[in-house]
Amino acid sequence: MNDVEPLRLAQVSAGYGQRMVLDGLDMGLRQGTITAIVGPNGSGKSTVIRAMARLLPTRSGVVLLDGRDIRSFGSRGIARLVSVLPQSPSSPPGLTVRELVELGRFPHTGLFGRVGVEGARAVESALTLTGLSDFAERPLDELSGGERQRAWIALALAQGAGTLLLDEPTTFLDVRHQFEVLDLIASLCASRGMTVVMVLHDLVHAANYAGRVVVMDSGRIVADGAPSTVLTAELMRTVFGVAAKIFTNPESGRSICLPIGTGRS
Amino acid sequence: MTSARSFAALTLLAGVAAAALFILHLGLGTVWIPPDRVILALADRSTDPTDLSIVRELRLPRAILGLLVGCMLGLSGALLQVVMRNRLAEPGLTGVSTGGILAAVLFLAGTWGLPPPGRFLPFVVLLGALAGGILVLFASSTRGRIDPLRLVLTAVIVNAIFGSLTSIVMLRSQQALGSILSWLIGSLNGRVWDDVWLALPWAAVGIPAGLLAARPANVLQLDDESGRALGLPLQPARIALFGLAAVLAAGAVSVAGAIAFVGLMAPNAARAIVGADARRVLPLSALIGCVLLLAADLVAQSLSIKPPIPSSSYRVGLPVGAVLAVFGAPLLIILIRRSIR
Repeated sequence: MNDVEPLRLAQVSAGYGQRMVLDGLDMGLRQGTITAIVGPNGSGKSTVIRAMARLLPTRSGVVLLDGRDIRSFGSRGIARLVSVLPQSPSSPPGLTVRELVELGRFPHTGLFGRVGVEGARAVESALTLTGLSDFAERPLDELSGGERQRAWIALALAQGAGTLLLDEPTTFLDVRHQFEVLDLIASLCASRGMTVVMVLHDLVHAANYAGRVVVMDSGRIVADGAPSTVLTAELMRTVFGVAAKIFTNPESGRSICLPIGTGRS
Repeated sequence: MTSARSFAALTLLAGVAAAALFILHLGLGTVWIPPDRVILALADRSTDPTDLSIVRELRLPRAILGLLVGCMLGLSGALLQVVMRNRLAEPGLTGVSTGGILAAVLFLAGTWGLPPPGRFLPFVVLLGALAGGILVLFASSTRGRIDPLRLVLTAVIVNAIFGSLTSIVMLRSQQALGSILSWLIGSLNGRVWDDVWLALPWAAVGIPAGLLAARPANVLQLDDESGRALGLPLQPARIALFGLAAVLAAGAVSVAGAIAFVGLMAPNAARAIVGADARRVLPLSALIGCVLLLAADLVAQSLSIKPPIPSSSYRVGLPVGAVLAVFGAPLLIILIRRSIR
C-alpha cells in the first residue's frame, strides 16, 4: 500500500482555451517528500499544481490519485486527499483565523453539516502546529503577511489531506517570514509524513528545503532530481537565461545557486 | 468559545427587540392600545371585544408581514452579497425586486377580468426577479468579477427601464391601476390575513433553506481557486444561492412591493457586528431585517395617523419604503464611497 504514489501525472496535457500549457508531462510523487517546481514565468508550474488537484481538467493523459484515476473521485473526495494553497488566496474582511481554518473541514462534513468533534480536533491541531492558537479569534486582515500565510496553511492542514500543493507560498513575504513558512512546511513533512509540492521562484529556497527539484520550461520537465545535480550553471543559462555561480552552503552542505546577471553586460 | 456565547446573546437581543417592536406595532394606530392589553388580546384572554378585533383582525396581519418581509429581505440581501461578492448587493439594487414587479404588473394587466391571480402571483414575481437579477448580474460583471460601481450603475439603469415599462403597462390597462398602485410603492398599509397566507409558504421554505446555506456560502466567500480546492462546485452553488435569494425576495415583493434598503442595511449591520462568518451573518441579517422593517413601519404609521374621521380610509398612509429610503440611502452613499476608494 505504501508503495502507491499519492499522486502521478501520466502523459498529461492541459491548457487554457486554445493555449496548451502542459505537453505530455510525466511526474510522480513519493510519499513524505518535498518537491520544488521551478522554472521561468509561463513555464507551466502553476498549471501542474492545478492539474494535480483537478482544478483544471486534463486534455489528454491521466492523473492518478492514490493509484486511481482522479476523474473517478468526487470534488470533495479529492479535497480530502489533496489540499491546495493558491497563489493569492483571499478571504472576506473580518473573517477570523479560526473561522477560516474551520472551512478546511468542508470536504468532510455534509454540505450543511457541522464541524463536529473530530473536525474541532483537526482545527485545534492545525492552529497549534502553525503557532496560531493565540491568534485564533483575530480577523485575518489584522495579521501580518507571514501570519496570514500560516493561517492559510492551517486551513490546508485542517483538511487532513496527505498531500499539500503550494503555489508560490513565499512570494509576498519578507525574508524572515519566508523562512518561517518554509520551516513550517518542512516540519509538517517530517512530523506528519505529508507529501509536499511547492512552486518556488527562489532557487536558494528550493535547494535548501526540497529533496527534489523539478525544472520546467515551456510546459515540459527539463531537469528532475536532487538540487545539487539539477541546479547547475549550464541549466541556469539555458533555462533561465542567466549566468550563475554555484556554491556550497557551509552550514548545510547543500549547494547554493547564485544568479549573477543576464550575462550580457 | 466566548464568541459563540456573545453571538447567542446578540441573537437573543435582536429577538427581544423584534418582539418588543412587534407588540408596539400592534398597539399603534388610530387607537393606541397599551402593550399589556395587546398581549392579553394576542393570548385571546382579553375581555374587550374592540381590543380583540383591532389587534387580531386589523393589525396582526400587518405586523406579521412586517416580521416575515423584513426577515426575507435581510436574508435575501445577505445571500446576494455572498453570491456577488459585493457589499452593495441587495434585491432592490440588483434588478430582482423591480424585475419581479414588472412581471407581476404584466401578469395582472394581462389577466384582468379573470379570476384573481392569488397564489400564482409570487411565482410570476419569482420569474421576473430571476430575470431581472440575471440581467443585472451579466451586465455588471467583467470576466466573472462584479465591479461595485458598475453594479450600482447597471442597477440604476435597469431599475429605471423596468420602472418605466411598469408605468407603460399600468397606463394601458387603467382599471387595474388602483389595486396595483397600493402595492407597488413598497408598503404594508392595509394588509390583511390573505396577504399573510400568500407570503407564509415562501417564508417557510426560503428562510430555513437560506440559513442552511451558510457553509457553502462561507466557501463561496473565499477566492474561486480556494473554494474549488475545498471541493465546492462553484457555479452550481452560486446558482442555488442566487435562486434562494430570488425566492425570498419574490415572497417579500409579492405582498409588500419593492421595499429597498432593508436587504442592504441588515447584512452590512450584521457584518459590522459579527464579522464575516455566514453561520452568524445570515441569521443575524434576517433578525436585523425584522427589526428594521418593524421599526420603519412604526415610524411610517405614526407619521400617518389621522383623527378618526368617518370618511378617512386607513389605507392612506406613508409607505414604509419611503421611511427606509431616508435611512438607507445615506448608508448606500457611504458604502459606495468606501468601496471605490
